[in-house]
Amino acid sequence: MKLKDSIRLSFRTLKTNKMRSALTMLGIIIGVGSVILMMSLGNGAQNLIVGQVASMGSNNIYIEPGSPAGSISQQTIDQLGKVNLKIKDAEAIAKDPNVEMVASMIYGNGIASYLGEDKKITFMGVDSNALDISDLSIMVGRGINDDDVNGMSKIVVLGHKLAQDLFGEDDPLGKGVRIKKINLKVVGVLEEKGGQIFQTFDDYAYIPITTAQKLLMGVDYINAILVKAKSEEVIDQVVENARIILREQHDIYNSEGDLTKDDFKVMSQVDMANMLTQITGALTAFLSSIAAIALIVGGIGIMNIMLVSVTERTREIGLRKAVGARNKDIMNQFLLEAITLTLLGGIIGFLGGTFLSFIASIALTSVLQSSWGFTIPLGAVILSFVVATAIGLIFGIYPAKKAAKLNPIEALRHE
Amino acid sequence: MIEVKDLRKEYNDDGVITTALDGVSFKIEKGEFVAIMGPSGSGKSTLMHIMGFLDRPTSGMFKFENRGIEELNDDQLAFVRNNKLGFIFQFFNLLPRTSVFDNVKLPLIYTHISEEEKKERVVKAIESVSLLSRIKNLSNQLSGGEQQRVAIARAIINNPSVIFADEPTGNLDSKSGQQIMEILQDLNEQGHTIILVTHEQYTAEMAKRIIKLRDGKIVSDEEVRERKIAKQGLIK
Repeated sequence: MKLKDSIRLSFRTLKTNKMRSALTMLGIIIGVGSVILMMSLGNGAQNLIVGQVASMGSNNIYIEPGSPAGSISQQTIDQLGKVNLKIKDAEAIAKDPNVEMVASMIYGNGIASYLGEDKKITFMGVDSNALDISDLSIMVGRGINDDDVNGMSKIVVLGHKLAQDLFGEDDPLGKGVRIKKINLKVVGVLEEKGGQIFQTFDDYAYIPITTAQKLLMGVDYINAILVKAKSEEVIDQVVENARIILREQHDIYNSEGDLTKDDFKVMSQVDMANMLTQITGALTAFLSSIAAIALIVGGIGIMNIMLVSVTERTREIGLRKAVGARNKDIMNQFLLEAITLTLLGGIIGFLGGTFLSFIASIALTSVLQSSWGFTIPLGAVILSFVVATAIGLIFGIYPAKKAAKLNPIEALRHE
Repeated sequence: MIEVKDLRKEYNDDGVITTALDGVSFKIEKGEFVAIMGPSGSGKSTLMHIMGFLDRPTSGMFKFENRGIEELNDDQLAFVRNNKLGFIFQFFNLLPRTSVFDNVKLPLIYTHISEEEKKERVVKAIESVSLLSRIKNLSNQLSGGEQQRVAIARAIINNPSVIFADEPTGNLDSKSGQQIMEILQDLNEQGHTIILVTHEQYTAEMAKRIIKLRDGKIVSDEEVRERKIAKQGLIK
C-alpha cells in the first residue's frame, strides 16, 4: 500500500469521526501548546535578563556576603545572617589602581509616610558613588554627597515612581518624608530608569548609607559592594584582587584561592548573567516537564481511542486481509492514523502555543514596562514535532499490532 | 486446481472441542461452478474459509494450484488472496461511508500497478455489474442488491481464478438474488471457477455441481442434472 494512499485513508477515517478525533487531539494540542508556551516564556525571560544585566554596565562587579558554595537557597539563608561586609572593606578595594569607583550599599524595608499617606517601600542606604555606578541620574534637586554620608544627614533622594506615588502633582523638594520614625528631607528626585525585573530603581528611596545604618537600622554592616573596573580588560584582575583584599580584611587564610573558604562572593556581570540564565533555564526545564505530562496523558488518550477504533473496525480489518492486505499493511494503516492524530495535534498545539506566547509577550511588555522579546526557540519547534510523532508511534504501536494480528475469519465474523 | 483430502477442522473453545470438518475429500477443477450445501453448523463456511486461505485446517491436506497453506508465509498468503481469489460475503462487507469506486478499488491498493490502470480496472469492473451510474455514491446509499454487486465488482477486480461466494443471496430479496446469481453464472461462463456456499436448494441448482455436507462430512457430491439458469426468469 502506497504511503500517499495510507495518508489519504487516515485523514478520511479521522474525518468520519470528527468530534472524536478533535477531542483525542486536544490532549496533544494542550501538551504541545503548553510546552511551546513554557519554552518561549523561559527563552524570553532569559533574553531579558541577559539584556538587562548587560545594560547595567559590563565593567561592574558585585560583592555580597556569604559563601559562594552550596545551593541557591542555602546561599540565601547564609546571606541573612551575614554581617561581615563593612564599609572599610569597600574602602580597601577602592585602593586597587584598576578600580574606577566603589559604592557600598545597604537596603531595608519600611513604611514611607507623607501627610498621612503611607507606602511600603525599600530604602537603599548608599554612598556618594552609588547613583553614578548604577547609572542613575538626578531629575530635580541633588544627589547624595560625601558630606551627607559623613554627617549622617537626614535627607532622601526619591526614585521617580516613588516621588509620584507619595507627592502626586506636588513638588517634593524640601518636603519631609517619614521612614522608620525618622523624618527625612527630600533633596532630589531621580530620572525615570524604566522597568527592570530585579531592581525597580524607580521605587526606591535613597538615603545616605550612614543614616540608614545608624538611624534607621542600627547596624554597622553593609549588604553589598558595587565595584566599577576601569576597563573590561581588567575585570578578571579586579575580581581576583578584591578576593585577596577581602580575605586579608576578614583574616581568612586561603592562599590556594579555594572559594568555599571565603565568607563573601565576588561576581562580575558575566557571572551574574550566567547565574540568572542558569536559574531561568532550570525553571524553564521544570515548567516544560510539567507541561510534558499533558503530552503523556494525551498519548494515553490516543492509545485508548485507537484501541476502540480497532475493535470497531474489526470487520473492516478482516475484509482488508481477505482482499490481500498483509499484516504489515494493516499495522501501518493504524500506526499512520495515530501519527496523523498526534502530528496534526502537534501542529495545532504549536500554532496555539505560539499565539499564546505572542499574547503573553505583549502582556509582559506592558506589565514590566520593558520590551519582552517574543521568541519561539527552534529547539521547541523541532521538539514538539518530534515528540508529537514519537507519541503517535509509541502509543499507536500496540493498537496497530493488535489490529494486524487479528485473524481474518474472526474479524469477518465479528458483529 | 483445488484438492482437499481428509480435511479436518476442530475448534477448541475453552477446552470444549467442536468438530467442524470431519474428514472431507474432493477435487475441484478449473472452470467448475460448485455449490456447497448443508444446514447451518454443517461446516460449509469453515470449508470455504480454508479453501480461501483465511483459515488453517487442523489436519489433512488442502492444496490450491498445488500449494498448501503451510508452504506460504503471511505475505505470500496475502498475495494469493489478493491475486488469485475473490470473496463475496452474505453481509456484503463494504467499507461504510466510502464511495463505490473506492470500495471496488480496495484490493488494488495492496498491489503495485499504476494509478491509471487501477482506475481503468475499477471502472471496467463496476461497468460489468451495471453500476456505473452509482460510481460516486457512498456504499450506504445503495440497496442491498446494489451493494452485493459492488462486492462482486470488488471480488473480480484482480481477475481471480476462483471466486468464493458465501451465501451471496442470503440477505437479499429474490429479485436481487436472482441478479446476483445471473452475474455469477456469467462469470463462470467467462472461465472463473466459482465456489458457492448456500443452504438454499434452488440457489444451489444454479451451480453445475453440488457438494452436500452434514456434521462435517460429505453426504453427497453430484452433478446438477437440471441446471437452473438465472437469466431465464425468477425461480421460486
